[in-house]
Amino acid sequence: MIKTAVIGCGGMGNIHADRYMSMPEAQLIAVCDINGEAAERLGLLAGVKYYLSAQEMLEREKPEVVSIAVPTYLHVPMVRLAADYGAHVICEKPLALTSAEAEEAVRYCNGKGVRLFVGHVVRFFPAYSQLAEGIRQHGGGRGGIYHAKRAGSHPGQVQEWFRDPALSGGVIVDLMIHDIDYIRGTFGEAEEVYAFEHRTETMNYASATFRFGNGTLAQLEAFWGYPGAFHTAFEYAGADVIISGGTPDGESVHVRRAAASGSAPGFVETPASVLLKDPYYEELEHFLRCIASGAEPKVTAEDAVQAVRWAEAAVSSGATGLPVKLDAKGGIL
Amino acid sequence: MRRLNVGMLSFAHAHAYDYLACLQQMPEVTVGGIADPVPERTEELAMRHAIPYYSDYRELLADASIDAVIICSENVHHAEHTLAASEAGKHVLCEKPLGLSAGEMERMIAGCEAKGVQLMTAFPCRFLTPVVRAKEAFDRGEIGEIIAFKGTNRGSFPGPAWFAEPSLSGGGAVLDHTVHVMDLMNWFTGSPVEQVYAYAGTLFDPEHKRTIDDSGMVHVTFANGVFGVLDPSWSRNPGFPTWGDVTLQIIGTEGVISIDAFNQKNNVYGRASGKGSWSFWGDDMNGLMLQAFVQALLEGTPVPVTGLDGLRSAEVALNAYRSVQEGQPVKLHR
Ligand SMILES: NC(=O)c1ccc[n+]([C@@H]2O[C@H](COP(=O)([O-])OP(=O)(O)OC[C@H]3O[C@@H](n4cnc5c(N)ncnc54)[C@H](O)[C@@H]3O)[C@@H](O)[C@H]2O)c1
Repeated sequence: MIKTAVIGCGGMGNIHADRYMSMPEAQLIAVCDINGEAAERLGLLAGVKYYLSAQEMLEREKPEVVSIAVPTYLHVPMVRLAADYGAHVICEKPLALTSAEAEEAVRYCNGKGVRLFVGHVVRFFPAYSQLAEGIRQHGGGRGGIYHAKRAGSHPGQVQEWFRDPALSGGVIVDLMIHDIDYIRGTFGEAEEVYAFEHRTETMNYASATFRFGNGTLAQLEAFWGYPGAFHTAFEYAGADVIISGGTPDGESVHVRRAAASGSAPGFVETPASVLLKDPYYEELEHFLRCIASGAEPKVTAEDAVQAVRWAEAAVSSGATGLPVKLDAKGGIL
Repeated sequence: MRRLNVGMLSFAHAHAYDYLACLQQMPEVTVGGIADPVPERTEELAMRHAIPYYSDYRELLADASIDAVIICSENVHHAEHTLAASEAGKHVLCEKPLGLSAGEMERMIAGCEAKGVQLMTAFPCRFLTPVVRAKEAFDRGEIGEIIAFKGTNRGSFPGPAWFAEPSLSGGGAVLDHTVHVMDLMNWFTGSPVEQVYAYAGTLFDPEHKRTIDDSGMVHVTFANGVFGVLDPSWSRNPGFPTWGDVTLQIIGTEGVISIDAFNQKNNVYGRASGKGSWSFWGDDMNGLMLQAFVQALLEGTPVPVTGLDGLRSAEVALNAYRSVQEGQPVKLHR
């Protein structure tokens, strides 16, 4: 049994803790949040010790694996802290707000001899893994046109820090990065990105087209402040196949309750799943197995760095209105 | 009741067959002649409907009783046919794209103006009821100001061979399928396109023989800062349940309008066809477009979609090719 702990008891911290609790190969031993209420609530729910200080938790509990689910601007300092205590790290996406910081996190973990994994969970959604497989089977190497979108309410409505791009990275670095990592994993290295971004207090919309060497075009949209339920959609079209999917199309159960009035603070929307093992479970289980076996994960820390590089390039294109060329390492040329 | 006598000039574009069927439903219209250089595809059709047939369009134009013509020739002939029709004093409904260069389209517009005839571009998507309802909602201010568009006009590879022949079509999917949704974007923003950045390629021929572009992504920036992106690819394969789509998402400061214009459909699963298909039951855009054309001419009011509208959207497609060639965003010359 691998001893795990969770830093950050917000929306994602709750998910990580919950999945560890139900995973035979893991033992959740502690959680931590600087917000005492959040720490206490999750600690009591999970029946584990809860801490207000990550350092204190690491010192006392000596977890083998630490999940980091604090706001994005704190990812890298937390990764370093966990690595200092010799814990393997599973960090929520995006790894960092900048590629320089992301590289630094990878170097730091290497130096400390701990493994680093980043929660690019879309790779673990069966709809998307099957899509990638379908694209491969049907001659994806010859090029095609891909569309994907991800839209929902503004997370700043429930967690204020999301509103500040200096803390969250904004909709490209936080939300589009899911699809950015996915297209990297599926189509390989891109040559160029051309993007548009619009941001106000209440909405952040981005549209980015990535062009790949074989002519594949991937047109991605990410939207915070969409006036409707969270949803995702994709379509791949190649010469021999069209594959499309998304939510709510791919949902098989709807539970609809009469609406309660008013809105309360809470957690950011995450997709619910009707699978025995949901994608977050699959992801965490996969990472724990990689730790046990020493195997390479489906999505590496280096992949996570590249995803941040592409996101940076998209942000830069959106800001200048000009296409941005990417080098073979995903850096801006 | 006053009647309108309409001539049909060329059946190169298969829309002509549909237009003819629509016109014949209209009590205020007489189809007074069909001119088509390929008798095999039209002579018998004309005979069956007791419509005079001409192999030379000039003979059709020489008939003084014809009030207006519908031009469905290959793109490269649109200008010649429109100018000849206007010279003969006929009003014109011209299939899209209106022309293959800004100069040519300006001459078409000026020529019609000089002769006092009206020029309408065939943009039936303007007459799709979902689009009309969306425009009304936008005009009521329901989504505030427009920030961005995302559109698709994905289709199947067109039947007639000339579509793949640049000397007749002037371009592939990026020309053929940019113009419709581009016209809608122009209509909604009311602001001119200032910059175009596009990709184009050939991705959808399973035999890898096609040489004309069948795929692309067209990005536009309007003078008012609005951004738009549009997929004009001929990317539907025969397994897809329908010919293609017209979708437009309009992101506004206070809301979003999503149009999926052909989503009014039944799902049909046939043993014989071996696949599922979508059967569209929404209003008929071609009929509504022709109705609007005919009505404007009978009432002497301006046609609802002009030659300038045709130019404004075709020039985006033409500049898309320029952008592909230059590998960078291009500004539109005005
Ligand atoms: N993979 C996904 O699907 C997904 C979904 C949502 C969010 N995320 C990512 O997960 C991360 C967390 O997002 P969230 O929605 O859970 O945010 P959240 O605001 O709900 O939770 C963050 C928690 O961290 C706590 N925290 C802040 N500083 C801390 C510190 N120094 N030590 C301990 N705890 C601290 C906060 O009090 C808060 O409870 C973000 O990076 C976000 O991008 C991923």
